[in-house]
Amino acid sequence: MPIDAAFDIISFTSFIVLVVLGLGVIASMMGIFNLGHGDFVLLGAYTVFVFDELGLPIWLGMTVAPFAVALVGLVLERTVIRRFYAAPIIAMLGTYAIGVVIRETVRGLIGGLYHAIPEPLPGMIDIGDISISKWRLTVILITVLVVLVSYLLLRRTTLGLKIRASLENPALARSAAISTGQIYALTFAFGCGLAGLAGALMVPAFSLSADLGVRFLIQAFLAIMLGGVGTFEGPIGGAALIGATTAAFPWVMNPILADIMVFVLAIVAIRLRPTGLFTKRRL
Amino acid sequence: MTLNPRGWPVILVLEVAVLAALLAMPAGLDHFWVIFVTRVMILALLAISFDLCWGYAGIMSFGQALFFGGAGYAVAVAARDLEITSVFIALPMAVAVGFVLSLFVGWFLLMTRFPPPIIFVALGTLTGSYIGQRLALSWYYLGGQNGIPSIPSLTVGDYPLYEGPVFYYMVLGLLLGVYLLCRWLVRSQFGLVLAGVRQQESRLTFLGYRVQTYKTMMFALAGSIAGLGGGLLAFHDGFIWPNSIGILVSTQAVIFVLFGGIGTLIGAVIGVGAIEYVGFELADRYPQIWPIILGALLLVVVMFRPTGLIGLLVPERERYGRFGKPPKGEDGDDGAA
Repeated sequence: MPIDAAFDIISFTSFIVLVVLGLGVIASMMGIFNLGHGDFVLLGAYTVFVFDELGLPIWLGMTVAPFAVALVGLVLERTVIRRFYAAPIIAMLGTYAIGVVIRETVRGLIGGLYHAIPEPLPGMIDIGDISISKWRLTVILITVLVVLVSYLLLRRTTLGLKIRASLENPALARSAAISTGQIYALTFAFGCGLAGLAGALMVPAFSLSADLGVRFLIQAFLAIMLGGVGTFEGPIGGAALIGATTAAFPWVMNPILADIMVFVLAIVAIRLRPTGLFTKRRL
Repeated sequence: MTLNPRGWPVILVLEVAVLAALLAMPAGLDHFWVIFVTRVMILALLAISFDLCWGYAGIMSFGQALFFGGAGYAVAVAARDLEITSVFIALPMAVAVGFVLSLFVGWFLLMTRFPPPIIFVALGTLTGSYIGQRLALSWYYLGGQNGIPSIPSLTVGDYPLYEGPVFYYMVLGLLLGVYLLCRWLVRSQFGLVLAGVRQQESRLTFLGYRVQTYKTMMFALAGSIAGLGGGLLAFHDGFIWPNSIGILVSTQAVIFVLFGGIGTLIGAVIGVGAIEYVGFELADRYPQIWPIILGALLLVVVMFRPTGLIGLLVPERERYGRFGKPPKGEDGDDGAA
């Protein structure tokens, strides 16, 4: 069933792309490597879980999750992250600590177990002889839409111009009356919101557990470095590669080995091409 | 700022005090606490190893547990399947496993053509630890989720070393040896080069030092120490499980050292003691809350007190310290800019 497999691979890839998009926006726009990003993903997933527990519809939780996580991100940026702009290395430790706090809080709240969340759109859709899960198709469409919107936002709007200006030369941007502080806060919240969305959308496929985020954090970081930091397309390309190999390898080899192989291959590739595979054009 | 107006060598005083306390402890404590302190000393090896990486060589290692747990698994498997339990074989083996693993990882991550960005090293070590955890979790030979239970105890000749005072003093002796070795090393000319690397890596490169080689050497030493700790813990606790090699213990190492005081060896040891003791007291009553507090503590330290607990006591000047005599034949680095 090659088409089935291909569809699986694409839908898994879209999760990774979503995680990477948020992480990449923060990393390349602000120069902060957010080691807590995986746990923002977890927070998004947890929001959906809370809605499910309260008996509210899951799609509502999925709609609320990105905004809730973005809000958490905004608060954290204003109180904590902003202190780290001068010291990006300390920022890694700081965001890592934030990640630990979020992860352990969620672990405490859900009781260290796995929780399954049903898909909000059950059933299959038939196109010719192929039947495709409606929910997965929706995820793919949402991902494409989000990537497109983010791209246009950064490349075609005034806000995007301001964001890029703050990245290129913060001092000059400030002298041109751009409030870089606000821009950074907004960018960070936006990145966190994307993480929340990713977590919310993936939770039916992966079931909720406190360590959900760590795995995606590593995969997403590998994707970004594989693609190259500082561009828009690079991380997306890296995400596609990582996602595709992660989903494809178990079809051809022992699943345990497949899982590990992806990490090993990615890190070897990064070592051989430290600037990334797709870094010709700058954003 | 500090509580030291008279300029005592605070670090030395602390070191002697800690050593004296550790020497005397088994006499005044019951069995339970002897075991507890033994564990603390073993974890202190892990903390020292992270301190050497990040505090002394500027290598951000989020994966120190890979060497700790890797060596632990190695000796556990050897003890289970090959019945290798002799102290004189098992512990050197643990060191060797830690050394080989960290030399490989260090070579891979650090010896690149261009100096690797710090995020690559951080991520690489984290990934290594995560790979180890996945492997331990899903490989039946390594016991999967449950790890390897009931590892036979260490032996000296025919005499088995159970946890207790004898084990305690053996660990104390090893810790002391490792500590003195590291103390000498970081204060030697080798340590001076690394201090320079932390300040301005590119300049040291221009001066002709093979900076990445120095870092890799330090990383391999740190890995060996972590390996020794992992081997000891496996025998001491009598079991090992995937968390020992994974993210959990890697994070612990970071927290211990940053809390105690990065860049001082005694800070790492004190950090382990403080965290483990408070953790033990709190984990009983609030098992859910403790890990959250640990994370928050790490955040607070990173934000407000980068020098950790030790920074409260030790003046900045003493934390930097001196670096021994320059080697003969060179009339010393005049340090002029």
